[in-house]
Amino acid sequence: MEKDFIIAGFGGQGVLLAGEVLANAFMLDDKNVTWYPSYGAEMRGGTVNCSVVMSDTEVSAVQKAKAEFITVLNQASFDKFVSCVKKGGSIIVNSSLAAIKKTREDINYIFVPITKLAQEKLGNIKMANILALGVLSRVSKLVSLETLEKALYTVIPPHRANLIPKNIEALKLGYEYDLLKV
Amino acid sequence: MVECLTNKKVLMKGNYAIANAAVLAGCQCYFGYPITPQSEIGEFMSGKMQELGRAYVSAESELAAINMTIGACSTGVKAMSSSSSCAVALMQEALSYATTDELPVVLVSVMRGGPGLGNIYPSQGDYTQAVKGGGNGDYRTIVLAPSTVQECADLTYKAFYLAQKYRNPTILLADGLLGQMMEPVEFKEYPYPEVDNSSWRLSGTKDHKARIIRSYGPLADDRCVFLEKLFDKYKKLEENETEWEEIGTEDADVVLVSFGSTSRNVKTAVKMCREKGIKAGFFRPITLFPFPNKRLKELSKTVKKFITVEVNMGQMVDDVRLAVNGVVPVELIHKGVGAPPDPEVIFKQIEELI
Amino acid sequence: MATQVFKIPNTIKKDAKFTFCPGCDHGVAVRLVAECLEELGVIDNTIAVCGIGCSVTIYDFIDMDALEAPHGRSVAEATGVKRAKPDKFVFTYSGDGDYASIGLAEGMHAALRGEKITSICINNTTYGMTGGQLGPTTMLGQVTTTSPTGRNIEYYGYPIKLAEHIALCDGTAFSARVSLDTVANIKKAKQAIKKAFEVQLKGLGYSFVEILSTCPTNWRMTPDKAHERVQNEMMQVFKPGIYKDVTVENV
Repeated sequence: MEKDFIIAGFGGQGVLLAGEVLANAFMLDDKNVTWYPSYGAEMRGGTVNCSVVMSDTEVSAVQKAKAEFITVLNQASFDKFVSCVKKGGSIIVNSSLAAIKKTREDINYIFVPITKLAQEKLGNIKMANILALGVLSRVSKLVSLETLEKALYTVIPPHRANLIPKNIEALKLGYEYDLLKV
Repeated sequence: MVECLTNKKVLMKGNYAIANAAVLAGCQCYFGYPITPQSEIGEFMSGKMQELGRAYVSAESELAAINMTIGACSTGVKAMSSSSSCAVALMQEALSYATTDELPVVLVSVMRGGPGLGNIYPSQGDYTQAVKGGGNGDYRTIVLAPSTVQECADLTYKAFYLAQKYRNPTILLADGLLGQMMEPVEFKEYPYPEVDNSSWRLSGTKDHKARIIRSYGPLADDRCVFLEKLFDKYKKLEENETEWEEIGTEDADVVLVSFGSTSRNVKTAVKMCREKGIKAGFFRPITLFPFPNKRLKELSKTVKKFITVEVNMGQMVDDVRLAVNGVVPVELIHKGVGAPPDPEVIFKQIEELI
Repeated sequence: MATQVFKIPNTIKKDAKFTFCPGCDHGVAVRLVAECLEELGVIDNTIAVCGIGCSVTIYDFIDMDALEAPHGRSVAEATGVKRAKPDKFVFTYSGDGDYASIGLAEGMHAALRGEKITSICINNTTYGMTGGQLGPTTMLGQVTTTSPTGRNIEYYGYPIKLAEHIALCDGTAFSARVSLDTVANIKKAKQAIKKAFEVQLKGLGYSFVEILSTCPTNWRMTPDKAHERVQNEMMQVFKPGIYKDVTVENV
């Protein structure tokens, strides 16, 4: 089995970090995994995305045109990547920063006001990326919250360890997105 | 970045893996100048080398960086530089010197788009630059081409070892995809023996007569002798150090030849061929110099066609053609620059070519 | 009892044969370097890096470990040597074409980084080994094979004053210009070289000595006339002196 993920947003939303946590989680689950960022001349504020490929065997290709699970944190990324969701796949849309609009019949749309939730429930919009991972965990059923938690400990450096509890809270919030009233 | 000896898998960018492996290989000096997509190597080294009491110099140019590396290597310590494409072009003169100085310079070349400034996306456009050399005169550099982040680490170890063993500049030829991607990688101890360099290194004349490391050979006859000696070394390299990976070549009608990051997608395309009943094989040169000429020639007795797949306009294809010497046709699938073509795209082109 | 007043330094190779042109000051400069290496007792701990040009042959005269760098890169290679082996005594010896033109970036950045190495640069206002072309130090009005009507500002721009420029770099501990035109100046030159070497041994930073030198062959002059030119023309523009010395206040 091989599954492809794309996480996209604008620079500063932490999509590369979210991808790194996801990839680490797959590694902790003993899967083969690759993480590949869009990299360009842009720094803060530009669009950015990363691909994560998880496989039980050798990863077939590091960068792919399409993915089963695509998470978009802003409108520009939604516009760009909605056509890249594989048939039957899912797109998780941050409806705080993108319009709720369905243009395809053959994919699942999950609209969650990720930024708003991060702000209102966690008091920090910077938690949006990890919150989105919680949603992804629930939607994909391919990575558990427990493993993502462990991955946080791998990715967040020791001198920032104080941020981990808040991030775990964000994961849990995301996982239970459908129970939340905003 | 605090890695070093891990003895377990960690998720890491290829660039960091190369740098970390270099530290573990005993690299004492790093000299570099920033260029995308390899800047993480220098970033890692700047902190790590200082922490370990080793040398890091942010050089004023790539010319200076590679020549500083030559200077450090002349004293017998392991030293390296890293760069990319248009900036590796600036280093070619020094690499030519280092071959005749017979110094174990290690250079990491993380290829990006060319020619000229090109762009910062992955590319294999510097195959020829690395393998044939862009400097003057008759010389070769040892060239190792990783295809995974684990190989980025393992072949960095090997680059230091081969450079020392053969006293020849050695290039680790990666690309933007390998440099920027993350993948699980495990770091074990440097697996090679240390090579004794007490017979040639510069250290002052306390324990030896004055030594001069030079590339100037004023007498024509002497130069001929030197060049023969140099090329004997390259022959030994071909006999002893040629490395490649091959899958399903025993009964293959068509063999796909590819190196580096591109070979990952090609391997997948070959699997797709087999699933569709096409007798395809996979061949990946790991050492680009020495090139696995002998094995390709052997395969040409049973294989009906070779196809090379490259992210450039077709460079390694020339060497495959030379290796099989017209016995069977050698075709090319290529993409100018960027991430390797999708396996499906490669598969379709294979179908068209056979 | 006889007193020895002159001897060949022990640091000079026993079988060395003089290969510089008659009247060329390279021979004197090499000898001064050899004397300083002997007097400071560092010869067996020395690694020299030689630039390309007439200067490269210093390794044929002085009995020491040496590395030959590509044109312009001697200071970069010396940086690598010193960073790899900080306990070694490391100096570069090169001409103005090498140091001031193609290698200016290397020299200046080594000075800015305060590399603990010494650079000796021979300034003879021309590219000597290649046959006397216009170089970075060629003087205004000077006729060379590539300035057949003389160096004029409009066409060729100005010559560089190395010792002054290097002195401006914060990592420079010592920068001087010396001349070899008289016995008195030769003595001063030796003092400067020795001081530059001592500055390195004390780990104070980068040290630099520019040596004004003759090139009678390419100048088409006799040795006497060449030294007169050094006095009457070069020393008027390239003024000898110590431009920076961190061991002395208010230089």
